[in-house]
Amino acid sequence: MNFPAELKYSKDHEWVKTIDESTVLVGITDFAQSELGDLVFINLPQEGDEVTAEESFCDVESVKAVSDVMSPCTGVIAEVNTELEDEPQLLNEDPYGAWIAKIKDISSFGELMSADEYEAFVQQ
Amino acid sequence: MSDLKRTQLYDVHVAAGASMVDFGGWEMPIKYPTDIVAEHLYTRHACSLFDVSHMGRILVEGPEMVPFLQHVLSSNVMALDLNQAQYAIIPNENGGAVDDAYLYRFEEDRYLLVVNAANTDKDLEHLNAQIKNYDAKMTVITGDWAAIAVQGPKAKDILQKLSGGQAVTEPVKNALNTLQFEGRTVRVAKTGYTGEPIGYEVYIESAEAAWLWNRLIELGAKPAGLGARDTCRLEACLPLYGHEMGVDPERKEIPVFAVPLAKFAVSFSPQKGDFIGREALAKQFAAFSRIMNRDFSDLTDLPRRILPITLLDKGVMRAGMPVYKGDKLIGYVTSGTMVPYYRHEGEGLGTVILEETAKRSIGLAIVDSDTLEDDEVQIDVRGRRLKAVIPPYHMRVDAPPFARPILYRPEEEDAAAASGDRAPKALELIGRAVENHVWRQEKCVNLIPSEMTPSRAVRLLCASDPSFRYAEHKKVKSFYDADVFYYQGTEFIDEVEQLLVEEMKAFLGCAEVETRCVSGQMSNTCVFSALMDWKNRLNRKQDPKRLGYIMNNHIIKGGHLSAQPMGALHDYIAVDPVTERHALVNFPVLKDNIYKIDVEETKKAIDQYRPEFIIFGKSMVLHKEPVAAIRKYVDEMGLQTTIMYDMAHVLGLIGDHFQKPFQEGAEIVTGSTHKTFFGPQRGIVGVNYKKGELKYGLWETIESRAFPGSVSNHHLGTQLGLLMAAYEMNQFKDTYQAAVVSNAKSFAKSLKAAGLDVAGDPSIDYTETHQVIVNVGYGTGPEVAMRLERNNIICNYQATPEEEGFTASGALRMGVNEMTRFGFGPAEFDKLAQIMADCILRGKEVKEDVESLRAGYTEMKYCFNEDQVASALNELAKKSGL
Repeated sequence: MNFPAELKYSKDHEWVKTIDESTVLVGITDFAQSELGDLVFINLPQEGDEVTAEESFCDVESVKAVSDVMSPCTGVIAEVNTELEDEPQLLNEDPYGAWIAKIKDISSFGELMSADEYEAFVQQ
Repeated sequence: MSDLKRTQLYDVHVAAGASMVDFGGWEMPIKYPTDIVAEHLYTRHACSLFDVSHMGRILVEGPEMVPFLQHVLSSNVMALDLNQAQYAIIPNENGGAVDDAYLYRFEEDRYLLVVNAANTDKDLEHLNAQIKNYDAKMTVITGDWAAIAVQGPKAKDILQKLSGGQAVTEPVKNALNTLQFEGRTVRVAKTGYTGEPIGYEVYIESAEAAWLWNRLIELGAKPAGLGARDTCRLEACLPLYGHEMGVDPERKEIPVFAVPLAKFAVSFSPQKGDFIGREALAKQFAAFSRIMNRDFSDLTDLPRRILPITLLDKGVMRAGMPVYKGDKLIGYVTSGTMVPYYRHEGEGLGTVILEETAKRSIGLAIVDSDTLEDDEVQIDVRGRRLKAVIPPYHMRVDAPPFARPILYRPEEEDAAAASGDRAPKALELIGRAVENHVWRQEKCVNLIPSEMTPSRAVRLLCASDPSFRYAEHKKVKSFYDADVFYYQGTEFIDEVEQLLVEEMKAFLGCAEVETRCVSGQMSNTCVFSALMDWKNRLNRKQDPKRLGYIMNNHIIKGGHLSAQPMGALHDYIAVDPVTERHALVNFPVLKDNIYKIDVEETKKAIDQYRPEFIIFGKSMVLHKEPVAAIRKYVDEMGLQTTIMYDMAHVLGLIGDHFQKPFQEGAEIVTGSTHKTFFGPQRGIVGVNYKKGELKYGLWETIESRAFPGSVSNHHLGTQLGLLMAAYEMNQFKDTYQAAVVSNAKSFAKSLKAAGLDVAGDPSIDYTETHQVIVNVGYGTGPEVAMRLERNNIICNYQATPEEEGFTASGALRMGVNEMTRFGFGPAEFDKLAQIMADCILRGKEVKEDVESLRAGYTEMKYCFNEDQVASALNELAKKSGL
């Protein structure tokens, strides 16, 4: 299991990569993809959507079930990774490369952990 | 998960890194590290193992085991022969399902009932309440025997490695067998829950379960979990209890007939008596029948049915999501997910399965019974109404060894009606016909055993004037059975027909011949129809009784299509009320030579079934048929059995070098006149009934089933051509027949020496007919036959008796008859064998070699080639404008 040190993590298993003060990239963690299993569909948000910290902004479907992806922050969707529409399995194959959305105009963040804290969290 | 039960293979799953979950009280692998998508795909293109040891396995035995099972199951247990399995539902009084189940009969004196793991306790409670009324007992053996499903196109190869090459089961669904895998006893069923056309479930004693699992993995199978099992069964539209059976999302009980499989799983045979749920099921069946006829006036007993559903918009459907048609709620998704598949390209037999994969969003839904195929509907996917459609199915398995995903595509518009100037089209057609004729007649080596090029004389006569005429005629008793013709201008063809009858009587060695049938299949239809008419002749005031039991060669063992219920027997064979299947029994074949009838076993089958009609003859034929031995036995038994020999393939071999059917005791011979015989494409019926005999009446019925029963216009041109062919045959048969049989043996030996796997008995040089069968590898027959065609060798791919159907064919069927007629002898066939081995084994392009081999052999032998005949034919051609 991989926990890159430069990222921050939410308790809902999203990772956050800071681009600048008010812009981040968001994806799901290695742990999340491994728990979900083969991802076969993603219902992406749209550019311009307003998102709220710790509320669902996207959902991913594995063969067995659907799961909400929670936003780690409150802001506006700047860009979505449309490549995932046709290849949702990229979320399994390269969870930290396969970003889901870029969020801008961030007004607040939910609770986030460091890599070490998150690793300890998932091992509980 | 400490309270959960574990199967015999638990440790193996954990060691392989499986994710274990609670499934119906069992700790089971949902997936392995490969994950569900890869496991599903591996099942479809190779072979997966599924641990199904959690399924409840109940042995039922005792004097009243059958009445008990008839009472608690929906199926007809009496229809289950030894070494067969059947799908059944355990119905409740309301016509709902307590569970669905599979019933196996590995042994004469007990049945194995396999039920869903999660329902086992409930099922036992239900069954125990019933069994107390019967002298029978149930024993749960779930813990004693492990069960491993081995599913996918490579499953048969893998299992045959363990059986030492022995056929694992007969190549038909639901066949069972008990055999040894490397010294361990296993019970194998050709059943499964993935929809795979090549799928087995193997039962083995618990102590050996891990050994078998690991051996199967060494041989190339991979483990798959319950996740892939679910996606596979969904793609195959197989119901899952709790989703498609039990209660629906509105908590209403799902009627058994809502499930399409119920049609096969429910029997109302009188044999069953009053079984649990019968009354409710009969009402459902009546509703089902109305619905199938699109009468939706009363849906009370079957308001909703389970149908496949495909999402057209992007998204994923899940069980419980509502389905709408317009604004109307019509039902709910019962199962749904994204299912992966391999893409394919090309069409028909040329379809190539690619390595590239994709996914599709499919499911099953319980929807209002007036919903039709192709209906556009919407699914409420978490608040979004997504477009969906009702497809006919998600997958088909009628082109084994692969299960083929069927992607929904609406009917394409018909191509624009043909239009424009036809003159250039006419010219083009002629040009192409010339090209084709030259290719087949001068460049190709023709090895299709059912084909023959007729001589120039036969061809010219076929095209000359009577070919456009009518000559209906019928014997009239008032005129002492004189033939009365309905039209004038028929004197010549009348004479021709009489001469033809005499020539054919001489050739067949029989008393009467009917020559008006225009194909071998029609000849069979005439005979079958006449036999049925004859059977009912004394009582015309009731529905005529059909024929049964009938004994024939099974189609996968080489039997003629036209002597099968799906062929010419279709309208004439009875259904056995006990088994609810056709009253048909097949000739048993020898264990060490599946191409040959086992006479001793056949006698036992005759004892058991006392067939009223025996049909010898095959289209994949290497041996003589044991007509004399069976005739003797039938006579000794005092049976009134009618014995027929369909000699379609071997008609032209009748004589000293093959068989004389009437001398051996056949009463009726049918045949086609264009395979080993020299004629144009027609059929023939010969019988050995003589005037004054009881069965002469049957002969007269055969005549009347030919005309007016089957033909009005009996193709006078080819009838004329056939007379010439009969002259040729009667003149040249001794040398021709000897050459055909010795060429076939010689060709077989040459093919073997060239490294090919020739089927049959080497001690008789593989064949006693014109045919040679070569095994080229399971499922590769079509590709090899097409490769040979590209190289100008024309033969046909053939499923052997161990294969599931024509797309799984692993053999080529070849006949030496046509090339023998063009003058091929052992040396030419030896050269051909080398060329074929180069093409088949080494993929070499051999077109030029074939063309140069053929070039020296374009002149027809075994026909009248004298100068006088040639100039008379020139005259005929000139006068008839040909």
